[in-house]
Amino acid sequence: MKLELKNISKNFHGVKALQNVDFQLQENSIHALLGENGAGKSTLVKILCGVYQPDSGIINLNNKQQSIPDPSASLSLGISAIHQESVMFDELSVTENVFIGNHITKSNGLVDWGLMQDKTNQLLKDLEANIEPNEKIKDLSIAQRHIVQISRSLIHDADIVIMDEPTASLSQKEINELYTIIRNLKKQNKSIIFISHKLDEVIEVCDEFTVLRDGELIKSDSIQNTNKDQLITYMAGREVNQIFPKNNVTIENEIFEVRNLFKKTQFKDINFNLRKKEILGFYGLVGSGRTEIMKSIFGITKLDEGEILFKDQKILIRKPSDAIDQGIVYLSEERQQLGMTGLMSVKDNINMAVMDRNSNFYVMNTLKEIKNSSAMQEKLNIKVSYWSQLTQSLSGGNQQKTVIAKWLSTKPEVLILDEPTKGIDVRSKSAVHEFMGELVEEGMSIMMISSELPEILGMCDRVVVMYKGLIKDILNVKETSSEQIVKLASGES
Amino acid sequence: MKKILLNRDFILFSIILIILIAVGFANPLFITPKSISDVLTDTSILIILALSQMIVILIRAIDLSVASNLALSGMLISLLSTVHPELPVYYFIALSCVIGTILGVLNGISIAILKVPFIVTTLGTLSIYRGLIYFVSDGKQVYSNEFSEDFLALIHFKFLSLSFLFWLAVVVFILIYVLLNHTRFGRNLYSLGGNPDAAKYIGVNENKYIIMAYSLSGFFAGLCGYLWVARYSVASTQIAIGFELTVISACVVGGISVMGGVGTVLGCVLGALLIGLIRNALPAVDISQFWQLAISGGIILLAIIINTKTEQRKEKTIMVEN
Repeated sequence: MKLELKNISKNFHGVKALQNVDFQLQENSIHALLGENGAGKSTLVKILCGVYQPDSGIINLNNKQQSIPDPSASLSLGISAIHQESVMFDELSVTENVFIGNHITKSNGLVDWGLMQDKTNQLLKDLEANIEPNEKIKDLSIAQRHIVQISRSLIHDADIVIMDEPTASLSQKEINELYTIIRNLKKQNKSIIFISHKLDEVIEVCDEFTVLRDGELIKSDSIQNTNKDQLITYMAGREVNQIFPKNNVTIENEIFEVRNLFKKTQFKDINFNLRKKEILGFYGLVGSGRTEIMKSIFGITKLDEGEILFKDQKILIRKPSDAIDQGIVYLSEERQQLGMTGLMSVKDNINMAVMDRNSNFYVMNTLKEIKNSSAMQEKLNIKVSYWSQLTQSLSGGNQQKTVIAKWLSTKPEVLILDEPTKGIDVRSKSAVHEFMGELVEEGMSIMMISSELPEILGMCDRVVVMYKGLIKDILNVKETSSEQIVKLASGES
Repeated sequence: MKKILLNRDFILFSIILIILIAVGFANPLFITPKSISDVLTDTSILIILALSQMIVILIRAIDLSVASNLALSGMLISLLSTVHPELPVYYFIALSCVIGTILGVLNGISIAILKVPFIVTTLGTLSIYRGLIYFVSDGKQVYSNEFSEDFLALIHFKFLSLSFLFWLAVVVFILIYVLLNHTRFGRNLYSLGGNPDAAKYIGVNENKYIIMAYSLSGFFAGLCGYLWVARYSVASTQIAIGFELTVISACVVGGISVMGGVGTVLGCVLGALLIGLIRNALPAVDISQFWQLAISGGIILLAIIINTKTEQRKEKTIMVEN
């Protein structure tokens, strides 16, 4: 046995994050750590990384009891974590990010740049990654960043590599490349803890799994002995029959259309239309231009050419407020940075985009604001402990709902959602999907960017498939297959 | 080639050249070797302080107390030299550095251990260190005739007709260049400033680095304490008052991001040179004293705008151009 955790418990201010959890990682195996958000996965990982100390319990590594008082202790024990974000140094080179905290020095104590450069080059070649060691991290794609992080853990000579949702924002092609790298790691006798919300990939890649729910161990077994539905049941604690509760609505006339949108180096020949009560999906590799098109439509960036028609009228959108006035809103993928102000209350966040409607001669009408926010909170089931609670202290799912509430307050007719369920747990996810269904029923039209095929296939009526800034095809979801979409999106047909 | 032209340091260097040429046209006397050597001498202390300030700015902090630290260290060794003129000058230099370092460590401890925000800490010590000068000197000055000859001689030493101050600045430049680019300590400063959370994950001890950065800043402030007093042959409560702002603007002009983790040692030196040049050039082209401060501020702002505008990040290309 490589790593064994026994009876681990951890409390935060009386909240039980982990209760007597056991976890066993076998030598040379890929172990999936599963659970909804708040199930205790990240607490467990942080204990292994030395960020948190368990209140009780034992950690055995290679059959020897160990304590992990801080992150550097974790590294020297051979545990290396690949986090989703924020552990890279954007302004530094690839080489330096690989060797960070572990610089090779010459006998005179100075850093040996040449040797580090060569080693990085070799490492990237072994991983079959097409990255220049001199490049700055800020110029790399998300997938490339993951590879740099993996190289880093190889340099640290880690035996145990923890991957926290490594595929969350990757395209299918990049995911497949990552799988190859993960399997290579396994061949090099590494053990891998793999955290993911995508159950299909867990079944494909992993050997074993452990499911946590509300800080307790629910099940740990070999992947061969289970299937997707069973895993969902373990995670949710109930049978989730229908993951995509798409209501049957009659799609009406065309409401929105774009013609020949063009932006230099970003996209060109973009033509599509959206009908009332329709959900139109946008699928493509990360960086295929989906987000860029939406940002141009919403007036964040400027179009070079092309026209936008709304209710058969040509409209001009120069800035986001023009779009909002027309009834078109865009929910960014980066909800934390671009969607909300964490230090403001839920009420203030919900009312942020409609201040002009809730004020008389520049003086805020608090009564109107409260009315709006409580209506929204009820409608979206946003759970707050007290009325002035800060948004940053809410869970990810509730934060996402707050952002949605903010935009719904503007009473839009066209809603653009950019990866609306990225990184949120199964239950919040289906809540968002359910809600999308309700919105179209009420007469709204939705454009949704998503990198998850099941979501596209489950929720959308039609899907626009993009590749390198071009629309490859617009498909009717009922008449297509996931294979066809993936093929188009990777530019292979 | 295009990469070189858009390099921040190169742009800054060009701006310096342009100003030099423009001033040269207005007043040819300004670009004689003698005059340029004077400007370099005059800017040396600024260069040294900007380089040490850069270390602190790299980790997302600022040291506002440098000028007060400089003045206090300078005053203490001046007072000692009036009592013990027989001591060798190296003794005073070393002592000044030690005093400066201690004052810097105090800043570091307050920020790292007591968790007083850096701006509050150094704003406080800016006043405290300045106030201590009144306390130790009774508000009196130490005049040039009170210093020993030995104390003032070193500063007038010349090599290749360039001053001791200039060569010292060159040495400090090389030292800090090696420190920041070729040692683990320096690279970890960049990582800590670029992404503090991530730096903790790789085992960088933030508190240690804060204290080290402030001690270095203090060390060089102390060194400059001696340099300043010896160069101007006077120690008083008023020396280098407000100089911390000049130092910080040299860093900012030099492209050291106050957001931390970004900036080159060469850029920092060029920033200091630009400011030194402007301060010396304006009197040379007969601009009224009343205007000088405003104009030098305007030029600094303009330099920063040109510098940042040309370096704005290019958008990523999605489409393959056919």
